[in-house]
Amino acid sequence: AISLARIGSSGINAEYGEVGRLCYIRLGDNAGKTCVIVDLVDQKRLLVDGPHCGLARQVIRLKNLAITDLKVKIARGCKTNVVRAAVTKEDIANKFLQTSLSKKAESKKAKAALGDFDRFKLRVAKTAHNRKIRSAVRKLKKSS
Amino acid sequence: PRSSVLLASDGLSLELNGLLNGRSGGDLVPLVERSLTVHRGSTDLKQWYQRRVRGKVPLQKAPRFYPTEDCKVPLKNRKTVKQTKLRSSITPGTVVILLAGAHRGKRAICLKQLPSGLLLVTGPYKINGVPLRRVDQAYVIATSTKVELPALPAIGDEIFKRKGKPTKNEKEMFVDSAGDSGYKISAEKIALQKEVDAAVVPAVKAVDMLQSYLRSRFTLTKGQYPHEMQF
Repeated sequence: AISLARIGSSGINAEYGEVGRLCYIRLGDNAGKTCVIVDLVDQKRLLVDGPHCGLARQVIRLKNLAITDLKVKIARGCKTNVVRAAVTKEDIANKFLQTSLSKKAESKKAKAALGDFDRFKLRVAKTAHNRKIRSAVRKLKKSS
Repeated sequence: PRSSVLLASDGLSLELNGLLNGRSGGDLVPLVERSLTVHRGSTDLKQWYQRRVRGKVPLQKAPRFYPTEDCKVPLKNRKTVKQTKLRSSITPGTVVILLAGAHRGKRAICLKQLPSGLLLVTGPYKINGVPLRRVDQAYVIATSTKVELPALPAIGDEIFKRKGKPTKNEKEMFVDSAGDSGYKISAEKIALQKEVDAAVVPAVKAVDMLQSYLRSRFTLTKGQYPHEMQF
């Protein structure tokens, strides 16, 4: 596998942009969709394909992506139907929904869709929740 | 013949006048029919006559003398006053955020649209101190929260109209009116407010957390942008 530039967190668990890696598109028109890296163009751009999301095969900038730790076994530069077959075989779409990245994206979307009353209820719930935590912490501090 | 013919005082009459010069009444109908087809598009004489009788077109004899110069006649005002179009998001019972005035930031309930086009809004007064008040829809953010309103007393624009200061006569012109105490809320208004509150407050209490929501004020914090927010 051709390793591309290191993206994601540094350290041993750094994710690499390699062929077959599943990425989440953070910015742009296709934000929210996932795609599979098919090939590299240069240090900053990748050829991606997302037949499972209805994403057309295209070149995308690294900065618009977030690399996940899911990977699919495909050959470099393979065709879309090959990518599609590999994705459905490994059920990558559902595996992605289990990841924290996907869950965070979902909650962000839900938060943006809150109405004024809902935002009020959320604030009240958060204040009550934090108050409970602080009182518990205070109690522990006192006892120790 | 001319005296026995009913003519309108528009361009039609001049033509008919000309046509009738020297002709007898018997020739009238085909002439009128021809003129009508040209000017009105139809030859329904009965309709034409009835329009004049009903007063939709003035029923006048063509004058003998005409002014030498053509005076400009102002166009007829056919404007009809329509009720101000209300945003589809604002309906009776919608919780609304007031954006300006003494109660800015407060959340109030929109009761209805008054004949003047303004919204009638109330806190209710018992909950957040917003009285029965008129507000323009431009100074309001409509939220998606709606309250089921019961039957309310009929309220119009009249109670909200302020009476002007009484004009002083010559003698009192320079007399200091220390007695002027400013605006006082009428007893009628207070009674009406109590009536409305008695109806609306139970409806508010029926919804969980709605009362505390109406007591709170709308604020923007860091990272909140109204154009990106859903209301």
